[in-house]
This record gives sequence, C-alpha cells and structure tokens, in this order.
Amino acid sequence: MWSSTREIAAGDLVIVWMTRDNIQPLVVTPGKDFNSKYGNYRQADFVGVPYGSKVGSPSGKGFVYLLRPTPELWTLALPHRTQIVYIADIAFITSRLNIRPGSRVIEAGTGSGSFTHSVARTIGESGHLWSYEFHEARANKAREEFTRHGMTNIVTLTHRNVCKEGFTVENTVDSVFLDLPAPWDAVEHAKKALRKDRITRICCFSPCMEQVLRTVAALNEAGFTEVSMYETLLRPHEVTQVPQPQLIGEVSSGLKEAEKRREEKRLRQIANNKARLAGTEPASSTKRKRGDERDARLADEISRRDLNPSDGSPGSKRVRTEEDEGMEAEADITTVSVQVDMIKADENEGKLVADESRMEITTSPSSPTPTSRISVSNALPEVRGHTSYLTFAILVPFSAPSGTGEEAASTIASELAPTPGASTTAAPSEAQDKSSVVAS
Amino acid sequence: MPPKTKHRKDTSSHQYDLRDVVIQAGDCVLVQLPSGDITGVKVDSNSTATIKKFGSFHTNELIGQKYGNAYEIQGKRLKVLPPRTLQEVEDTEATNEYINDGEFVQPLTITEIQALKEAGVHATDIIKKQIELHSSYSLKTEYSKEKYKKRKEVKYFRTFITIPPTLNNVCEYWFLKDQARIRDIRVDTLSQLLNLANVKPGGRYIVVDDASGLVVSAMLERMGGEGRIITIHDSESPPPYPVMTNMNFSPETISILSSLNWATADEEYTPILPPTEVETTDAKSERQKSRLNKRKAMTNHLFSTRKELFDGEFDGLILATQYDPYSIIEKYAQYLGGSANLVVHSPYPQILADLQTKLRNYPEWLSPSLTESWLRRYQVLPGRTHPLMNMSGSGGYLLHVIRVYDDPEASYTKLYRHRNKKTKADAGDSSTPVIEGSSTLSTPVVSLDEGSYHNEMQMTEDVKLSTTM
Repeated sequence: MWSSTREIAAGDLVIVWMTRDNIQPLVVTPGKDFNSKYGNYRQADFVGVPYGSKVGSPSGKGFVYLLRPTPELWTLALPHRTQIVYIADIAFITSRLNIRPGSRVIEAGTGSGSFTHSVARTIGESGHLWSYEFHEARANKAREEFTRHGMTNIVTLTHRNVCKEGFTVENTVDSVFLDLPAPWDAVEHAKKALRKDRITRICCFSPCMEQVLRTVAALNEAGFTEVSMYETLLRPHEVTQVPQPQLIGEVSSGLKEAEKRREEKRLRQIANNKARLAGTEPASSTKRKRGDERDARLADEISRRDLNPSDGSPGSKRVRTEEDEGMEAEADITTVSVQVDMIKADENEGKLVADESRMEITTSPSSPTPTSRISVSNALPEVRGHTSYLTFAILVPFSAPSGTGEEAASTIASELAPTPGASTTAAPSEAQDKSSVVAS
Repeated sequence: MPPKTKHRKDTSSHQYDLRDVVIQAGDCVLVQLPSGDITGVKVDSNSTATIKKFGSFHTNELIGQKYGNAYEIQGKRLKVLPPRTLQEVEDTEATNEYINDGEFVQPLTITEIQALKEAGVHATDIIKKQIELHSSYSLKTEYSKEKYKKRKEVKYFRTFITIPPTLNNVCEYWFLKDQARIRDIRVDTLSQLLNLANVKPGGRYIVVDDASGLVVSAMLERMGGEGRIITIHDSESPPPYPVMTNMNFSPETISILSSLNWATADEEYTPILPPTEVETTDAKSERQKSRLNKRKAMTNHLFSTRKELFDGEFDGLILATQYDPYSIIEKYAQYLGGSANLVVHSPYPQILADLQTKLRNYPEWLSPSLTESWLRRYQVLPGRTHPLMNMSGSGGYLLHVIRVYDDPEASYTKLYRHRNKKTKADAGDSSTPVIEGSSTLSTPVVSLDEGSYHNEMQMTEDVKLSTTM
C-alpha cells in the first residue's frame, strides 16, 4: 500500500498540497502535465524528487508540495462519493474495535473508502479487510481505487447488499464496522461472520438517535453485551498572537492624570477669564495655552479610548504626541514580527505575499517576538458539532461450563435480572413494530 | 540490551496473536468489578491472587481461560457466569421520586447481614431477603427497583469480568486510575495521535514518552513487531514504562524498541562507557567474562542505536513530554525524512500554541494544526437514552505538522494577479478610505489559521503595502 521509498517514482500516488483547502491526489505519470492555479508542471519532473518536497513551477510562478500519501491525507484529498468518516471517528473506532496489525475486519458500506484506507494501514499485510458496498458504480470505483493503491492483498471488496444477503465470510472476523442506513438489519449477519473463539466487537455508525435505539435493541437480541454509545468530536483550535493584556494600573493612572489636567485647565481658564476681565493678561499665557490644548487633546483621547472598549488595547489607537515619536521604531519592530508570523504561518497566506516583503523580513530586526505578545489558542468559532453516534458492543464466546458454575450463573441471571429479560423482549418487539411501519 | 521491560516471560507458549485472547501465566490481567472499577491482577502459575474486599482465588483457575468471562469467587474457586445481555440496564440513574429519605424501611440490620454473609449465604439470597423485608419496595418504580438491586449487587456480589489487555482497555484503565501519570491522554486522543503520526507496521519513529509508556505501548501495539521505535528519555537506565506491563506484550513485539537518553542521543556527545576489554593476562573468571560480554553487547547496542538515530529518515517524531517540545524538535527534526509527521501531545494548550507560533518561523513545517478532542458517552437503555452525567473534561491537545523540504527559490503564484487587483482597486476608487497601515497592524488579534483565511488575505496585503510604502 503506497510507496515507502524516499523518492517519488513514476506511477506513485502522491498528495499534491497546494493550500489547506486544496489538496489533490495524483498518480505521477511522466508525459502528462499537472496544471493548477499554483503553476503548471510536467509530471516527469516529479520523478526522483524526495517525498515532502516543495516544488516550484518551471515558470517560476507558484509551487506545490508533494507529500507521501497517508490515510489521513487521503481523507482530505479523496474524491467524495458519499459522506465520509473523519479522523476523530475513524481513530476512536479503530481503538475500540481493537483493530491492529493482523486483525480481520468487516466494513459495510465502503462509501468513499476513507475508513477502508485507514484500517488497511493499521491491519497491515498480515490482516484482512472485507469491504461491502451495495451501490454498484461506487463499488466499481472503489475497487479501481484499491487496486491503484496496491491494497488488493489487504482488502477484498464485494458488491452486495449485506442487509439482505449477509456477508461472504463466516466465523472469521475479529470486528465489524457497520456504516449503513439500517444497521439493525445486518446485526444477525454480522454475528455469523464474527469468530466465536474469542471476544469480538462491533460498531454501528449512525447519525440519528432513532437508528441508535433500534440498533441497540437488535444487538441485545442477538446476544451482544457491553453495549455502549459514544459521540466524539475534534475541536480545532486557532493559534493567534495577542498583545499582553494591558494592566489597569496604566489605564487608571492615565485617567487620573487626565482628571488632574482637566481640573488644572478649568482653574486656569477661570484665572484667565478673571484676568481678562480685569484687563491685565499675564505675559506667559500664550505659551502655556498651547501646552494646555495638547493636554486637553490627550485627556480627550484617553477618555475616548476608555469609552470605546474595542479600541482599548494598547497600540490600537495610538495617541500621537511628540513624545511618542521615539516609540515609533519600537512599534515597527512589532509590525514586522507580526508580518513574519503571517507569512510563515501557512503557505496559504504566504502565497499572497510579495517577494519584496519576504526580503524585508529576512533583513529586518524581526528576531523573536517582543515580550508584549503572547501565543493563545481558542476553538474555531464554528466546528463540526456532530458526525454520528457510535454504538459499540462485544460478543463474548460462552459455552455453559459443566459443573458447579452453571447453577450460580443461572441463579444470578434469572433471579436477579428480571428487568433486563423484560426489556430484551420488549425492545425488539418495539423495533419490529417500527420496521414494519417503515416497510409498509 | 534488549530487555526493555522488567516484565518478561517464557516466550514459547506466548503467541502475539493471542495475548488479548487467552490468559497466560505471568500476565497482568485487568478485571472489572460490579462497581465498574477496574483493577489489575498478576496471574502467575500456582499462586493466589487477591482482589480487595472480594477475597482471593487460585490463579491457575484463570490461566488458559479466554478473556471476557464473568466469574464469581466462591471460596478459593472461580465459577464462570454467562454473559449478561443488557448489562447496561443496571447502570442507570433512575428517579428516586418515591423514596422518602429517613423513613424506616429495612428491618434487616447490618449485623444480621454480616452474619448471613459469614454463614455463607449467597449474595443473591441476601438481596432477596432484603427485598422481601423492605417495607416500600413494591412502591418503587421499575427503574427504582432495578437501581436498588444494582446497588445491592455492587455491594454484595463477588463477581468480576476479565478484560482483555487491548489498547483501549489499558488506556481507559490508566486514565481512570491515574490520569496525571499518563499526561491526561484519553483513548480518543491517543487514537488520534496514532492516526496523525501514521503509525503502522514497518514504520520508523522517534518517540519521547513521559506518559508512563502509554504512547510507546500504543505504538508497539500498532506496529505488530515490524518497524522501529527509538525513545529518548531522561534517566541513566532504560525507562520502566509501567503501562507496558499491562499490555502483556511478547518479546517479539517489544524487540523493535530501543531507548537512548538525552545524553546518549546527542550527536555531538560521545558517551562515556566502561571499557569492554580489560587488560589483564590472568585467566578471567567466568563471571567476569560474562559481565564483560554483557557490557560489550550493551555498548554495541548503544552505538548501533545512536547510528540508526543519526542516520535519520524517520517517519515520525512523537512527543508526549514534560520537557520543552521546541528544544526537542530543534535537535531531532533533522532526523526526520520528507513528509514525516510531527505529533505533539500536551495537557496544556498554551504550550502547543507557543510551539505552533515558533514553528511558523520555519518553512520546513507545513500546516500546523492544533486540536482537542471531545468524547461523550451515552446511557443507552430502552426509554432512557441520555448522555452520562459526568464526562471527562479533556484528553489533552494535539499539534500535528508535516515536515517538508523547503525550496527557497520557489515563489508565490498569486503575487502578480493580486498586485494588479490591488492597483486597480486603488486607482479605481481613491475615495475609499485606505485602511491605515498602523491601525490594521495594531489590531490586537492577528489571526493565522484557516478559519479566518479571508481576513488574512486582506491583512497580509495591508501589511505588505504598509511596509513597502
């Protein structure tokens, strides 16, 4: 499954990374071109390049990264045939189903093959995955894909409606993953396919709670135990740099200063008025007045900032005074380092930035971020809030042992668990009612 | 120095494939009690194991048994119980609307119960008796009755279920037992780490595991004895990795693991080792010879591991460490191949946020992403399906980045198009208030991730303009 050599060879599948939102799979075919808005390339030029290389386009405009495929990258790049299962669910299901090298697994349906690739990677060549897809065209597409990816020794794909026809293997697999609209119809078939010489596991992946309830009833009826249900999500965080929050002490002393000046100004104005009325203007007044105006402006500025919280952060609205000129240089350093961050952050953004500014960065005194900035993270404002409910259960092999154990067992089971018994009978009949409604 | 763990057992009877299927002599077996608590039991042959408050039993009773069975301790013997379907039913939080606090309902006293227990009366009979004598039992709702019984079972049953040492179970066990010792790594987060790092049979990874060996155990489990793991640790002797004890790995599975410490993993440093040749003409004693041979083997292993590390081309660097992750990456990223994955776990988002900010300054790191996973369990009972009251707060955070080979010659494509657009816009509408460079730049939050892609385009451009002007 996929190349493990250092360099790309003709016929290899590579993941062409252009931006975070633009990731494409490509089978490197010398003689063909790869054209995108990030440049036009001859695929022959990709051959011999180490995986993970940034490759500039021959015209000098644009570049792409050629990455080694992984199931995770494939999930981001794959052609969607259906809604797909994403990493948070895939990873959790893999662990809970105890899928590991050598495992034998059933998956239905194949869909776009996102889960298939991940499981194939994990079970390796000593394991096997039986994948079933009831949609013929999708099954054929998936089969072609698996062949192209060199997975045929690990994955057997069958076009089949497993709810109606069951699986192709019996007493064989360690775990079953059902991503079907009506998984309860496949539970009995799954039980048949699971091996009986050890604990085996099942997971049903359903977006709706109603589906979960019917699945749970079916699992109980089929003798599965340890039924549990989970929901798992990935919360992506955004990392940003923000200025160290200002201390209120500074704000407070600014305000106090302003108050003091306002009062001084008022008193001076009164004094001036009195003097004017008296007709005797003090000689030094003109000079002092200019200073007063500036103070007043400053006070004004501070109070305005105070009133408008969005401008409250330092540097957002700088008060421009003569004294501040000296600070300008310092501010510029901050500016440049911000710029460095933005350019290096993600090549997405980098692509939009002029070469000159890159030059400037390397020559500017950008080195480490001034201490006034801190790195913070917060969850993205909008995230995927629900994918599906994951219902798990296990099947424990049990043959009633001969001897004393049985009595105790039956005592406990029958005398102390009447309610479970009652609900096992109640739940399935309810489920049957529902299914008959659905059927009719 | 192959024995990485203290725990070794006879290899002949222990097949990898069956380690989570059949209980072998020497295994550390996890058992689940009626309360849901999980505890570990060492199952050596011909010995006795004790479960707290439950009593003890002969371990031979468990050896050779399949995992997943329920047992009841009777004397020193174990009785196998059939699996109970809908066990979840018992795990309910039924309403206690009809239970009045403080009312006298149970004439059976603790001393009487104790006497019954001592007389050897079975737990089910004690519970039955309690129910019979309970004055308001019949008034209870079915849910309430069930809960009552469940509570009594938890109290009196001396049953347990053997739990296979799967990655999931061992991680859950440790997470419940001592979350801090595994650095808050919850099973969903661990699973994501494994996937993001593309851990697979045949892969080669550098690992720093200060999480009691949970990450190493998980990786060994997913590699099935094929590939290579080199861990770097902070002690003079190989790290014990206690989580590994619960996995009951076979020696073949562990054989792919070697460890160096922060000194021996330093390429600039030559480890100071005792001489392997002793210059003496006297006939060496057997003991001395074997000691020298051992020393020699250790030295050789150390140097070959070092060489392997320094030769590089690893597929991934995985960190779950108490140390500064950047200082590790700075030193060890050079041993990664192209397109290798770097995955860092931390219980603290601040550490990873800081790391991500640092990595941004280097073009060899592509697309950092910081994620936290969230996991909610539901009670699924007919008519009573709801999320559990309590859920784990966090399984920690993961930072994932892909290592790439930079090409400083490669330039940005959109440059020209973008510049033209900008010029046009400027020329076309000069009345539009041009955003002042200073005001844009001093916007407190400089957003850098995909979520605010468009803002950045705009902002990046403004930055550019303001600095070139």
